[in-house]
Amino acid sequence: MRCVACDAEVRPGDQYCEACGHKLSEPAPPLPPVPPEWVSSAGAARECPGCGGTAFGSEGYCETCGQRRPAGPDHSELALGALAGVTDRGHRHHRNEDAMALGRLPGAVVAVICDGVSSSTRPDAASHAAVDAAAPALLDALAGGTDPGPAITLAARAAQGAATLVAGAQPGGNPPSSTFVCAVVTAAAVTVGWVGDSRAYWLPERGTADMLTIDDSMAGQLAAAGVEVPEIARSRDAGALLRWLGADATDTAARLHTFTPPGPGRVLLCSDGLSRYAHTPADLAALAPVGPATDTAAALVRHALDSGGEDNVTAVLIPFPPPEEKP
Amino acid sequence: MTEGPTFTTEVYQNQYLPAGGSVVDAVVTVTASGGAAAISAGGDPSSAAQVIMVDCSGSMTSPATKISEARRATAAAVDTLRDGVAFAVIAGRADADMVYPPRAELVPASAQTRAEAKSAVNRLTASGGTAIGRWLNLANVLFAGNPAAFKHAILLTDGRNQHETPEQLAEVLRSCEGRFICDSRGVGADWSGSELRTVAAALLGTADGLPDPTALADDFRSMTETAMGKAVAEVALRLWTPAGSTVRFVKQTFPHVADLTARRTEISARIGEYPLGAWGDESRDYHVQVEVPVGAVGEEVLASRASLVSGAQVLSQSLILAVWTDDTALSTKINPRVAHYTGQAELAEVIQEGLAARDAGDLETATSKLGRAVQLAEESGHEDTAKLLARVVDVVDASTGTVRLKQKVAGVDAELANVRSVKTIRVKNG
Repeated sequence: MRCVACDAEVRPGDQYCEACGHKLSEPAPPLPPVPPEWVSSAGAARECPGCGGTAFGSEGYCETCGQRRPAGPDHSELALGALAGVTDRGHRHHRNEDAMALGRLPGAVVAVICDGVSSSTRPDAASHAAVDAAAPALLDALAGGTDPGPAITLAARAAQGAATLVAGAQPGGNPPSSTFVCAVVTAAAVTVGWVGDSRAYWLPERGTADMLTIDDSMAGQLAAAGVEVPEIARSRDAGALLRWLGADATDTAARLHTFTPPGPGRVLLCSDGLSRYAHTPADLAALAPVGPATDTAAALVRHALDSGGEDNVTAVLIPFPPPEEKP
Repeated sequence: MTEGPTFTTEVYQNQYLPAGGSVVDAVVTVTASGGAAAISAGGDPSSAAQVIMVDCSGSMTSPATKISEARRATAAAVDTLRDGVAFAVIAGRADADMVYPPRAELVPASAQTRAEAKSAVNRLTASGGTAIGRWLNLANVLFAGNPAAFKHAILLTDGRNQHETPEQLAEVLRSCEGRFICDSRGVGADWSGSELRTVAAALLGTADGLPDPTALADDFRSMTETAMGKAVAEVALRLWTPAGSTVRFVKQTFPHVADLTARRTEISARIGEYPLGAWGDESRDYHVQVEVPVGAVGEEVLASRASLVSGAQVLSQSLILAVWTDDTALSTKINPRVAHYTGQAELAEVIQEGLAARDAGDLETATSKLGRAVQLAEESGHEDTAKLLARVVDVVDASTGTVRLKQKVAGVDAELANVRSVKTIRVKNG
């Protein structure tokens, strides 16, 4: 015979468990709720991108050369259970303006990527603040019983709020801005939400890979409408963002898409630093080796870097269905 | 125990630089408030000292109102001193003589010492020459023996500094720098605007001319009142700048132009301090220009951390930034305050250069410089300066700066235009 509370051996006739003191005539106590947990790549860089110095003033500027301290590290690898993500500064940019967060709670795993808009002021500050606001907001909503779609809407609002705050009291004409893409994966469905041109893909074990998001750009919308105008897709104006998060953004509601996978596979979230080097979902699927999520994310980022690394690059892999994990 | 004033600093700048740009301009506005209340609530009077230097050269008798009004003004200043403030009165001639107290020292103001001082001042007679450096030197000696935190002097002259060389005066000014603050005044028609400005610039005070001697008493009273309202004796602007950068200049731009660039004291490899003198409840503006190493488009650097310090204590702090952009709409915007003060500084310069050219007989340069001055005064709405300039030139068209030099100009009008050339106004909208 065993105690229903702690699984220790008990003798017949005992009133209380010798190990944990549980009254054996009563049913097992409810398990304490598993707190949602999350990790993110946000966290001020240790070294100055300008001079390598490590002393920074309280305002966040290098005490030697005055460079602003990046809001996130140049390279970061995160893993949380079966989820994994890798982000890298790339070869051209001074800072890593991409940020990512991974989270889980019983019954769901989540991930968020925000890509700072390079032409804005302090884009890395916007993106890192946005993921750090979105992840807990998303998990809180889900833990409170909110459905994935509305939970993503709340998370995008939290991200928008954080990106706006980064601009400070005087946002100026070109305030910190960021994209947003988010996925909630349960055993039943994949729900994605986005603002901007960071993407979500479905990479099935068998069958055809698919893009789950539609870029908020002219080119993205033409492509989604089935218009094949490759020269437009390549022009800079057509790729310009129509929607973003930040103090000057007007339309910041996350576009939502829910998808019921026909079988097992993986959800990939990525910034355009990766998607620019893979023109079709099938290309990406071919580049994503089957194996541990950490290795796959690292392989995808490596591909972008080897292809030129023109932009910051981030890839997050979420397995479907999410494995049941004991807390 | 009373609290000192509260200081705030605000930075006005366009932080955006074009690709390849390296020069960052900012106007730092420093405002002190709450100090006067602290003093009236029982500030320590022994923290202040004042010396009054009265020109007693022979020319002070022509007209006789100059010496009589100087006596009246000095008495008014003495009456304005708070009880306990250490003071002395000096008679300035080719040498400097103690008027009160008789020995070379400062005495605390009281009903008795004020009465004695006024009685001695009433007996002042005018005879002899003018050697301003000697007067300042005696003031410096008097202050040196006194522990007061804030030391203020008033210098009154009616003529040019004839009995010593400009080099002698410059040497005395160097020895007085940082020891006390001096407001300089010219009375009558024969003083030199540039001499008064030289003294004011070195000793962080004001300079002005009063053609009418009867205006002296109010001015002396007001200068003393202002001095008595100074709650913080020594404030400095501390600039941190990044490695590889240069502070091109630091200029006070309001209420008058004063170049502080050469007054830098090195604190460390990246930190220098510029003396801002004593502060009552007031607001001043400083134009700081820093050259930083060129950054890549998208980069952001701290071009300077501007702090207001009193000793080792940081009273307030603001940041001057540089952000490189390829958006010319952003990088070509000049901050309105920076533009305004760049214009005010140029205004002061062209007035001084124009008047100097006029004195040297170079009428072409004088016409062009003073024409530009008229134009700048018109553009910035500096009406006082426009009026002064109109006494020196006939304005044909202010908007284009077309002027003709007046054939006959009262000497004092040119000196007034000179001594007041550094007075600025604040930008109207913004």
